Amino acid sequence: MKAPGLWPSSLRVFDLSLGQMLWSRRSVFLALLLGGPVFLAIALRVVDMLHRSGFQVNGAQIGGSAIFGMMIWLLFIRFIVPVLGVFYGTSLIADEVDDKTITYLFTRPIPRSAVLLGKYFAYLTCTILLVLPSVMIVFFLLVPIGGGSIGAAFPSLLIDFGMLAVGLAAYGAVFALVGTRLKRPLIVGLVFAFGWEPAVLLFPGYLKRLTVAYYLQALVTHEMPQDSAVSMLLQVFRETPSTPVSLLALAVIIALTLWSAGRAVERREYVLEQ
Amino acid sequence: MMQRTRYFVIASLLVLGVGVGTGLVAYYVGFPAGAFARRGGPEELQYVPRDAAVIAFANVQEVMASELRQKLHKALPGENGQREFANQTGINIDQDIDRVVACLSPNGSTADMQGSGMVLARGRFDEVKIESLMRDHGAHVEEYKTKRLIIAEHTDHPGSFAVAFVEPGLIAVGSTNTVRTAVDLHQGGDNPNTGVASVTGNEELMNLVRSLDSGNVWAVGRFDSLMSRARLPQDFAGRIPPITWFSVSGRVDGGVTGVIRAEARDDEAATNLRDVVRGFMALAKLQAGSKPEMQAMLQSLELGGAGKTVALSFAVPSQVFDAAAAMLPKKQP
Repeated sequence: MKAPGLWPSSLRVFDLSLGQMLWSRRSVFLALLLGGPVFLAIALRVVDMLHRSGFQVNGAQIGGSAIFGMMIWLLFIRFIVPVLGVFYGTSLIADEVDDKTITYLFTRPIPRSAVLLGKYFAYLTCTILLVLPSVMIVFFLLVPIGGGSIGAAFPSLLIDFGMLAVGLAAYGAVFALVGTRLKRPLIVGLVFAFGWEPAVLLFPGYLKRLTVAYYLQALVTHEMPQDSAVSMLLQVFRETPSTPVSLLALAVIIALTLWSAGRAVERREYVLEQ
Repeated sequence: MMQRTRYFVIASLLVLGVGVGTGLVAYYVGFPAGAFARRGGPEELQYVPRDAAVIAFANVQEVMASELRQKLHKALPGENGQREFANQTGINIDQDIDRVVACLSPNGSTADMQGSGMVLARGRFDEVKIESLMRDHGAHVEEYKTKRLIIAEHTDHPGSFAVAFVEPGLIAVGSTNTVRTAVDLHQGGDNPNTGVASVTGNEELMNLVRSLDSGNVWAVGRFDSLMSRARLPQDFAGRIPPITWFSVSGRVDGGVTGVIRAEARDDEAATNLRDVVRGFMALAKLQAGSKPEMQAMLQSLELGGAGKTVALSFAVPSQVFDAAAAMLPKKQP
């Protein structure tokens, strides 16, 4: 009997993994992470309805679109997307190794890389189906504050959707590679996402091109908030690559890291600890 | 796929679908944010002609009662303009006016920068006294669609100036044609088919007005329309960023807080404008030196906006006005 190809095998693994991912303990964490911005938006909306004088930052009024833009930057771009990438991406293979269930998958008559690919697509579907509705609810709750127009702000929401999906895909692929190659992928992933990336972006030079955030932040249409001294430094040293360059770079990052991760899974000998 | 996973996927796609559908309807049909939020703008806007290039609003009662106004009133040597206005029209701005809406429509036929303007004031007015005072100053009365128009001819430039009591407690003061349009709008309502349309039908402008609703003073206008009539030197005009709309919103209380917004022609122009503003902000912060009142004001500057919009929020604390007042000559008792 002929063994199924890479894509049919990936689809089968995807089908199996999506349910596992959605109804795992990690999903509680995911729900809390994505429920936070929604609750915050509800609270802001209630405050707006009770106090009609509007919201003020440093004594100056700001509209709902600006608050939404701030939440996209501070919560989604700088925190939620990298965190989801780290926690889910690094665990795609590592969890199966830790649970000693990788053998069951690798003994199936399917390419090993199909396991990684199927799980990666399951991660992408799971996170996109949770993050985008959360952003959408936050958008509809916040933008009308201060009389903002849903219609006028809607094109930027669609761009945000695209940017968040690309961000999840890029971080997921990078951390999938980390998960397949390194021994303690979660620690390495956290150091990369919350140590290396923010630090390198603070300084002028070429090192920032070795981050996902550099290309991803170029796709954000909202103005970067000036909430701290670090943000001011980021503003000063911010170089913004053009949208086509950023998209191309992110596509290369996704393709290259997934290919490397696939090769690592194909070649690596996983020794299960007794 | 498990059944509950399938339900989750369907529910999630449904939320996305409904959201995107609503957004698309809002974007293409242009329904106002009123479906999700309160309707914005003062009701006097229904008497402002649709072609108005600039609209301004002031909640006079709030501004006059503000701590800042009280300080300025004590510090300034005299308010002759206000007294002269009261003598000419019989209107005491402090007590009689609650709020004003002003508009400016550049004349379409000429390159006249002054254009035609109108002020709609809501408050308590003594119609008989105002009419007799204006008659004393050479005005005449004309009946227009059941309303009495008190018309005064300008002596220093062409065109006439009219006053009409559009409805009880609402006075329209401005160029005669614009005041007539306000009366038309009052009688016939907003009806673009008859050629009488109010600014409330201009969705682009009303979206901006709604975003300014929380301030007690604000102004919004078409920057490109004003600049095209400003007769600026060619090389200077070429250096002005390509801005289409501008708006300024503020709240006057102890100090002044507000937001200045500009809508550039495209995203690139907005990015350039943001860079310029950011540069000026950095320069101003360096220049502020050791003046704490200036530092507080400059720290409050917040540059924002997305896409084509550039927004700069600010807060001028009362200390700045105190310092300015200290430099003025003392008011004579």
